[in-house]
Amino acid sequence: MTNLPGRKAQDIGDRFIAAIGVYAPLLRMDRQAAAKALKFSGLGGRAAGRRAVAGWDEDALTLAVEAARGVAEAPDAVIFASTSAPFIERSHATLLAEALALGADTRTNDVAGSRRCAVAALLSTLLGRGEALVAAGEKRAAKAGGAQHLAYGDGGAAACVADQGAARLIGYSSASHDMVDLYASHEHPEPYAYEERFVRETAVAHILAPAIKAACAMADIASSSIAFAAVHEPLAGCWRDIARLTGVTAPNLAGDLAQSLGDLGAAHALFAFALACDKAKSGDRILLAGFGSGCDALVFEMTGAMPGAREAAASVNSGRAFDDYVRFLSLTGSIDLDWGVRSEFEQKAQATALERYGRDMIGFIGGRDKTGNVQFPKSRIPVRPDAVGPEPLEDVRLADLPARIVSVTADRLNFTPDPPFWFGLVQFENGARVMMEFTDADAKGFAVGDTVRMRLRIKSHDHKRGFRTYFWKAAPAQRPPIES
Amino acid sequence: MASGIKDKVAIIGMGCTTFGERWDQGPEDLMVDAFEEALADAGIERGQIEAAWMGNALDDINVGNSALPLAHALRLKSIPVSRVENMCATGSEALRAAAYAVAAGAVDFALALGVEKLKDTGYGGLPLRTKGLANDLWMPYGSAPGSFAQLAGAYAARHGIAAADLKRAMAHVSWKSHQNGALNAKAHLRKAVDMETILKAPMIADPLGLFDCCGVSDGAACAIVTTPDIARGLGVANPVTVKAVQLCASHGWETQYGAWDGSFVANTRQAARRAYAEAGIGNPRADLALTEVHDCFSITELVTMEDLGLADEGRASFDILDGRFDRGGAQPCQIDGGLKCFGHPVGASGLRMAYEVYTQLLGRAGARQREDVNLGLTHNLGGAPFNSVAAVSILGRMN
Repeated sequence: MTNLPGRKAQDIGDRFIAAIGVYAPLLRMDRQAAAKALKFSGLGGRAAGRRAVAGWDEDALTLAVEAARGVAEAPDAVIFASTSAPFIERSHATLLAEALALGADTRTNDVAGSRRCAVAALLSTLLGRGEALVAAGEKRAAKAGGAQHLAYGDGGAAACVADQGAARLIGYSSASHDMVDLYASHEHPEPYAYEERFVRETAVAHILAPAIKAACAMADIASSSIAFAAVHEPLAGCWRDIARLTGVTAPNLAGDLAQSLGDLGAAHALFAFALACDKAKSGDRILLAGFGSGCDALVFEMTGAMPGAREAAASVNSGRAFDDYVRFLSLTGSIDLDWGVRSEFEQKAQATALERYGRDMIGFIGGRDKTGNVQFPKSRIPVRPDAVGPEPLEDVRLADLPARIVSVTADRLNFTPDPPFWFGLVQFENGARVMMEFTDADAKGFAVGDTVRMRLRIKSHDHKRGFRTYFWKAAPAQRPPIES
Repeated sequence: MASGIKDKVAIIGMGCTTFGERWDQGPEDLMVDAFEEALADAGIERGQIEAAWMGNALDDINVGNSALPLAHALRLKSIPVSRVENMCATGSEALRAAAYAVAAGAVDFALALGVEKLKDTGYGGLPLRTKGLANDLWMPYGSAPGSFAQLAGAYAARHGIAAADLKRAMAHVSWKSHQNGALNAKAHLRKAVDMETILKAPMIADPLGLFDCCGVSDGAACAIVTTPDIARGLGVANPVTVKAVQLCASHGWETQYGAWDGSFVANTRQAARRAYAEAGIGNPRADLALTEVHDCFSITELVTMEDLGLADEGRASFDILDGRFDRGGAQPCQIDGGLKCFGHPVGASGLRMAYEVYTQLLGRAGARQREDVNLGLTHNLGGAPFNSVAAVSILGRMN
């Protein structure tokens, strides 16, 4: 086993994770049903558990935004982490900051390069200054039949780093190591995976275990004193060997997460950390480790209840299970169905229109007129019937307000990649009302009077030009528990 | 104080093509056929037309933009020819423009022609989008049935009507129109359909099934208008005159202000109030012999009966099931088959409605002719219930 040189505890200031948030999409594919569909081929990998499947209108950005909502009020910096970000040139961190209606002076940066990038960014902010929001989202492509297609899951996780909080960093260690367990590239966007036994033996012995041991050493704790682990395993089943080599006896919640939602890539370890925080009590130690081209291992000591942890734990078991493998293939882009003429819908967005209105759209900013009426979108002359001319409108964010349905339908004529197309009129509790799309319908659909909450989603997806715009859609206020 | 245009404009000729999937005809053929019928009806020379308005809603996908397609097709030589567009109310908008030109004394003869050639484009009632501008960033692009289907849930919620009961009344709307359309040689769909088939049809947009929706068609209709004096000079002793043409458009309040509950169309109510005032109609339930309303979907017709004041609020479904608006009822609606059976070539529909009222007023409607038709109403609705343009016109005999 490789040994890493230790660092000293005084390298760390008093730095904390102050809040955490996670997001899993509504849909969960039953792996056993997928295995059944693939039975003829013998492909598909492990048949147990479920994987979270993003809706057609979700991507790495929207998943990260949903995770990050309410995690940080006014961070100095926003870092977006993903290996499946939709844009190469257009900052998701900037879009994320605008979606959360953060100040224009917020520092924004995107990180990528391996699924370790979110934990690496988290460590950098913990070793830095100021308040930072690290938000990860993943919707990774994988080829149908390959083990990753079912092993992966879609989701997001976010953390706020600050000088005070519920989890104090007490030790860390990093290992940079270009071990190619799998890769994806511009030329080969789906993962190309190498021999599993090679990965298990090399990654555990030469990357993960040394980093974890070094982090515990820096924290000056016995590895057996770790209460919970959130260690991103290169492959399912590695934890037993990692525990044996490091002496960590705690359960690894990242392993359970891979079973229930799938391997969430850059968001995985952070999501599992949220689950660990939910279980931990003050004084407990939590091990967080990101893996990919090396490892970042961090040890925290809990100083109180972690905001967002309880909701994170609840989110794992709420959603909608499905067993339709063809729908799964369609949602994950593995088959390209011919939707016919109805899908020939121009989706081009204009940069000039985005520049004028885009921030109000992605931030869901309406305006309050001088009488107090809130409207969306804003207009020079308010919609109020007795308005007689232009008025300045005060910005009002609608994204976080409860709302109810005034009118709705399930439109089966209009094109959507996951029919039907739900839309209708939504009334917000502050008086604003917006005709909008709906998303995340559960089995009973939507009805007049239902309460809804807002979710950031892809509004238009211009496949021809590789561009997308985002807006908010109404989703059920509550998710049902997943039926067992 | 404006006096309105009641009896200041006479319709002396109208034409209407057979509506349908006119694979055999281009838009120019449709325009020529509608116009030649109207011209023969009017008994004037084509050179007497001094101004023309072409109603065409979807310029990018069928006839072409501007009014030049009309000028070319009819070879209208060196006269002002304009295109008007106001979504599904486009046909009524063309008639309104021509009527105003005559009423203003600007011209003696004017032409209003509506045309749409949808079947060349694969257009199936699907939503269109602007060109990547502000609304595209947030507005949902639901289909037309999706937009109108929302009336149903909101109406049922407001009036406490069970969904199944409302569905049955909606089905009766379509059943009745199919009965009527079967008698009309110019209709697209000429087949009676039984209630069971309508109720069990595949869902298009909840709760609108296939037979709750009008079809997509090609067609053209037109009117030649002049002054009543000139009409009399041409030998028409008691011409059909325009009693009222009124239009009302949303300014955005439905979806942005107040507490509209989605169960009615406010613009129809407003346009109807103005039209009744302009025409001097005090009791539309008694005064109007028949109506041609914008039955793009069965629920639209149901709600429109209340919006026009032809049924009490919350009672339209009962009146419909009682047969009040059937061909043999007290106040027939869509006696020609309506959009339900003609389909909806968008720019033509408003003038097609006027064509039926005109035909009934002149006693030319054959098997579907009503007795004692003195006043008829057309209602042409553009957009969606939550963002609409409503046109209400009333036609009658001069004396």
